[in-house]
Amino acid sequence: MNPRLVILDVVARPLYVVILLASLVVLLRGHNEPGGGFIAGLVAVSASVLWALAHGPAAAEARLPFRSPLILSAVGVALGAIAGLPALLLGDAFLTHLWGAIPLGFTEIEVSTVLVFDVGVYLCVWGALAGYALSLLEADLEAPAKDSPEARR
Amino acid sequence: MGHAQTANPIDAMGVAARAAFVLAPLGLFVLVSWVLATKTLPVDLAWSWIPSLDIEWRFRIDGLGALMLLMITGIGTAVFVYAGGYLAGDPNQRRLFWMLVLFMVAMVGCVTADDLFVLFLFWEATSLTSFMLVGYSHARAESRKAAQQALMVTGTGGLALLAGFIVLAQATGTTRISDIVEIVPTLGETPALTTALGLLLVGAFTKSAQFPFHFWLPNAMAAPTPVSAYLHSATMVKLGVFLLARLDPAFGEWPSWEWTLKVVGSVTAAWGMVLALRERDLKRILAWSTVATLGTLVMLVGMRGEGAAIAVGALLLAHGLYKAPLFFVAGNIDHGTGTRVIDRLGDLRRQMPWTAAAALLAGASMAGMPLSFGFIVKDVILEAKTAVDVFTFAKAANTVFGSIAVAVAGVAAIRVFWLHPGENQRVEAHECGPALVGPPLLLALLGITLGLFPFYVQDLIALAGVAMIPGTEVPVLSLSLAPGPVLGSLAVTLAIGVVIYLLWDPLHQRFERIAARTGRIGMASQYERSLTWIPTFAAAVTRRVQDGRLPVYVGLVAASAAAAIVVAIAHLVASGAATWAAIEWPGLGFAGAAALVIAGALVAPFVRDRLVLLLAVGLVGFGSALLFVFAGAPDVAWTQFAVETVFVIVVAAVLLGLKRLGRGMGIAEPRFRPLALGVSVVLGAAVAALLMIATAGPFDMSLPDWFGRTSVPEAHGRNVVNVILVDFRALDTLGEIAVVMLSLMAALPLVAALRRRRAPAGDAR
Repeated sequence: MNPRLVILDVVARPLYVVILLASLVVLLRGHNEPGGGFIAGLVAVSASVLWALAHGPAAAEARLPFRSPLILSAVGVALGAIAGLPALLLGDAFLTHLWGAIPLGFTEIEVSTVLVFDVGVYLCVWGALAGYALSLLEADLEAPAKDSPEARR
Repeated sequence: MGHAQTANPIDAMGVAARAAFVLAPLGLFVLVSWVLATKTLPVDLAWSWIPSLDIEWRFRIDGLGALMLLMITGIGTAVFVYAGGYLAGDPNQRRLFWMLVLFMVAMVGCVTADDLFVLFLFWEATSLTSFMLVGYSHARAESRKAAQQALMVTGTGGLALLAGFIVLAQATGTTRISDIVEIVPTLGETPALTTALGLLLVGAFTKSAQFPFHFWLPNAMAAPTPVSAYLHSATMVKLGVFLLARLDPAFGEWPSWEWTLKVVGSVTAAWGMVLALRERDLKRILAWSTVATLGTLVMLVGMRGEGAAIAVGALLLAHGLYKAPLFFVAGNIDHGTGTRVIDRLGDLRRQMPWTAAAALLAGASMAGMPLSFGFIVKDVILEAKTAVDVFTFAKAANTVFGSIAVAVAGVAAIRVFWLHPGENQRVEAHECGPALVGPPLLLALLGITLGLFPFYVQDLIALAGVAMIPGTEVPVLSLSLAPGPVLGSLAVTLAIGVVIYLLWDPLHQRFERIAARTGRIGMASQYERSLTWIPTFAAAVTRRVQDGRLPVYVGLVAASAAAAIVVAIAHLVASGAATWAAIEWPGLGFAGAAALVIAGALVAPFVRDRLVLLLAVGLVGFGSALLFVFAGAPDVAWTQFAVETVFVIVVAAVLLGLKRLGRGMGIAEPRFRPLALGVSVVLGAAVAALLMIATAGPFDMSLPDWFGRTSVPEAHGRNVVNVILVDFRALDTLGEIAVVMLSLMAALPLVAALRRRRAPAGDAR
């Protein structure tokens, strides 16, 4: 296997956290500024890929929520569907979004089914694309270890 | 066939279970009778189904439907009883019963549906269930092949029918059949309606085994006898005729309708009867005579006038009442002797007296003997023909049909029961149990009873006539034995029929010789040829288009896209609709981004080193992202940046892992590929031209304006792109993320398989 790049190894840990935080910011500001679940998901994927390059795809997979890209993206799709359900209870069409505000005295937090939906998109994109990237990395990184010129010699 | 020789074999299914299944058709029969007795037809029922397409679960019982319903449930009851006895002890009997029930429900749906697409749904259900029924003995190759053939022919016809229904619904603006038959005559012969008619006729002709789709029906005799008796006497094959009769009020006045039906019906009737002479298997002889009867029915539907409408109803009923018992008789002979080949049968009346009686009664009705319902029908048909100007060929075909019907009845009812088989071996025989003898006797007796007292059904048949031609009067069906045209014509057909009956064996040999020569061009062998031709053709195309090399795939996609766009532009230019956008000089940022894209694209074809190539391609991607920034689409730009970054990192990592980067690892492709250059230049030019045309016209701002106006007040968001994604079109997005997840689900096993394949063999690459 390739010798580990020491610098990459060292910066991967802080960068991983920073990139994920950045993706969360992108996710949350998405409704009013450029951003949103889809882009945020892609940003999160780059964090996973970074970890895979530094510590191997298996380690990156273990750091994903639920430790499985497939389950992660399935949870995302489920959240997207769940976000549409409250409207059904009120007799509106599926996925009619609802807004509310929780007052905190000095300010208020806006909550909405839109946010739940967007988080669903985020998790689904993160899980699915990380799944693709990690499994391809894994498949292609492990094979030459056996049949690379060094291994044959 | 190891039929149990005892009258009461050990049942896989108890008597009670079989009786419970019989209750299904019997109960429906009682229900239908009750509806007929208490309600005035037509009876309508409807539930909403797809309101946006104006498709409803609409049902209507009119005279024609009621006649079919009584046959489906009445003859169905006989079939269920018979199946209980015929397949007693068969381990799969329960499955047969369930399939029969499903088939019956599908049939009931077909004849009562008052919506084109509801009708189509049930129509397809009959095709599928009949596939299962014909292939019941699936361990036998012959029966699997017959089932496949029946499904392929009727299924193809079903597709034509669906297309016809869609065109018809578009042309008339409704899917309700009872409205369509009123609208179509007011529209005249438009091209759309003519197309619809052609497609509908294909659907109806395949289902009812009309020439040239006749060949599947006799092969379907591989089914167990109860199935043949049900599908090929009273129900499925009548569906085509039923559909034609349903649509008769719509298209009845068109000459093309009249002539197509008359010609196809006559040819089928005559040809079916001639082919009956070729067979030695009693069941297949009956099958060909069924084909002939269906031809006669189609011809009668095509004829104008009330008389013909009455004749259709009467023949539908009569045929069910004599053909089902004759199939039962063939089944009993098979059951009692182990063979259905007429050469080996004879003198069975001693061993099988009850079956012989049923055969005689049903045969009399089929031959149109006086005192039977078949005689009444002959009378009605003859009146219909004298009432309207009739195609001479139809008249001749009918005489041939009548004569050979007499001969077939003679073979089925007299030859095998009364005559000695000559030098042929005699077979052991025994009479069957009451479940096998009762149904044919009962149905055949009913055929005779209605012959003696036809006024019991004349109202019903008149109602069926009303469904085809509104205002049809109740005919007086009478048992007239006075010397007249009917008896005269009967004498002629009887005489010819007896001659054919006596000459059956020499005629058979003659036809066998002819058939041996014409078999290669017959429809059955055309079908066989197409079966082998389709996979050969598909394999050749697949090999050509998908040869496993990525450059070929990309090239094909690019070339077809270029061709499509060039054709579209040529159309626009030719029609004068194309206006070209004026060329404007871009701003500095835009030009810079475009320069990046162009630089990357120009460098990529010339580099051999994979890492440089990857960076060049990445340059195109980042350049496009920059273009989006300057075009005022930050969200798209951001997405593009993220995708490009992940793409470059993953591909670089993969290439590194594969040891495909570095000195001496360049791409071994020729530097200059003229075809690839040509395709990319044409595609680029075509897309550029398309964009110039597309941006020249005035831009419709209503949708962007609407989203801009409503985004904040209705969706509480200022980022319109995201608001559209997660709110206005949230359902689309939900579908998309589900697809993304499903694609991962499909891809993971593939990657895993790749790894498994590599893991044991170290030198797989």
